[in-house]
Amino acid sequence: MSIHIHHISKTFGSFHALKNVDLEVKTGELVALLGPSGSGKTTLLRIIAGLEFADAGEGSIQFHGTDVTNRSAYERKAGFVFQNYALFNHMTVAENIAFGLRVMKRPERPDREDIEKSVTELLRRIALEGYGSRFPSQLSGGQKQRVALARALAVGPQVLLLDEPFGALDAKVRKTLRKWLRQFHEETKVTTLFVTHDQDEAFELADRVVVLHEGDIQQIGSPQQLREHPKNEFVADFLDCVMI
Amino acid sequence: MAAIIISDPTRTTRPRKATAESLWSRWLIISIAVGFMGLMFVLPLVIIFQEAFRKGWEGFVQAFDDRATTHAIWLTLKVAAITVPLNTLFGLAAAWCISRFQFRGRRFLSSLIELPLWVSPVIAGMVYVLLFGAQGLFGPALKEHGIKIIFALPGIVLSTIFVTFTFVARVLAPQMEAQGQAEEEAAMTLGANGWQMFWRVTLPKIKWGLLYGIILCNARSMGEFGAVSVVSGHIRNKTNTVPLHIEVLYNEYQFVPAFAVASVLALLALVTLILKTLTTTQRGAA
Ligand SMILES: Nc1ncnc2c1ncn2[C@@H]1O[C@H](COP(=O)(O)OP(=O)(O)OP(=O)(O)O)[C@@H](O)[C@H]1O
Ligand SMILES: [Mg+2]
Repeated sequence: MSIHIHHISKTFGSFHALKNVDLEVKTGELVALLGPSGSGKTTLLRIIAGLEFADAGEGSIQFHGTDVTNRSAYERKAGFVFQNYALFNHMTVAENIAFGLRVMKRPERPDREDIEKSVTELLRRIALEGYGSRFPSQLSGGQKQRVALARALAVGPQVLLLDEPFGALDAKVRKTLRKWLRQFHEETKVTTLFVTHDQDEAFELADRVVVLHEGDIQQIGSPQQLREHPKNEFVADFLDCVMI
Repeated sequence: MAAIIISDPTRTTRPRKATAESLWSRWLIISIAVGFMGLMFVLPLVIIFQEAFRKGWEGFVQAFDDRATTHAIWLTLKVAAITVPLNTLFGLAAAWCISRFQFRGRRFLSSLIELPLWVSPVIAGMVYVLLFGAQGLFGPALKEHGIKIIFALPGIVLSTIFVTFTFVARVLAPQMEAQGQAEEEAAMTLGANGWQMFWRVTLPKIKWGLLYGIILCNARSMGEFGAVSVVSGHIRNKTNTVPLHIEVLYNEYQFVPAFAVASVLALLALVTLILKTLTTTQRGAA
């Protein structure tokens, strides 16, 4: 499923967090949203998911051609992985993963055995077999992150939005998870938009990279394009700075 | 009984600092505190039970073999049964607004919630008399339609609601604010509607705080004297709640029955204390 973001602006009081953003993520694409802290990455992701609403006006958001601008988060059902995991602390790992399936409406909801089966399958996939009955507080950061990912994937979302999925982890775990995500995307081809402020991560993972600065999109292009033809000083500077 | 102080349940552990007082001054402070508690809380409690059983178990039981007494107990239970659920709902809604939305007057709302703590209950009662009493603002209109609020159950319920609406909201608002709403947002992106989000995510997170607020609200609604006293009219077998009935008995020199009924309220306070401690521990553990 593709995502079309058209003329989206967002102000908090008098502060312009996003300025007239246009962006298209094609079906099956893996796009990285790169930018310094405070550039509006999280805000954009939250607007796509329906957790925040853009300023009223001409702006619109389309999921695969359908206008979802005024739809609520639970209607959009974009898989979202939060910067700080946001796991349900009072539920076990298995219950966390099953949540999205259990809240489905009657006709679509799988029966109990099927839910159990999907949970087991997902646990295997994130290499946490046997962790189903643990609580989030008994997991490491990297494990929590994978559970959050599995929870989002359980409902088979058409769109995956990841907010600095590996932000809080150490370099080694980051590398492993990065590889894992790349591989996962190769297998499933879910349209994915992920936020990072780590240039290496963006370049290694993404088909295309979007550079955001102060709520403005500076450049969109493949890692190679960005490296070879930075559009303006900011992009050149930002990419260089991070390289050091 | 009337003075229920909401302690901050998050402060359950005392930090042991290097600046701790010397041994003897610590003992002094502890004995002052314990002595004060003994004098002000434990002694009266002992006296209540002692007086209640002055004529033995039979005298105690006899005190409840009285129509006015059983009526008062029923009335108090009825008032609590109406007040507590309403104030639970109200408290949840208020805490939700304060912790989840940014709007004009949010600060004002959150201090308004504490109103019952600093307005004399008598004044609360008076306001309802001025509004709904025979000479009150809506008095004539109500009389025309044959609706009786003052000197009747509705008035008692109204003033009890006023006095106790603070408890659930005051416990929950800071707790919900501290917890944030990341988990609720996660639930929404997973396709949960508002109802499912509340029952499956929000409620489990706040259940101990909620229970704690309900317990306090219940204790106060059964024990309220001042506000109810103004609106009830002290009609025996009609509008006397347990606290009012105790006063009547006492003024009629029926000491054993007065203390016997009072001991029921005291028992309620003790049960409340135990439940409150349990829920606080649970909240600490959660
Ligand atoms: N609810 C809000 N109210 C007011 N200002 C906000 C709000 N949310 C975000 N902002 C502001 O909008 C700007 C963009 O925030 P955002 O969280 O999108 O940044 P980010 O690119 O995700 O940064 P980081 O890399 O640090 O996570 C920031 O300056 C922030 O202060
Ligand atoms: Mg962010």
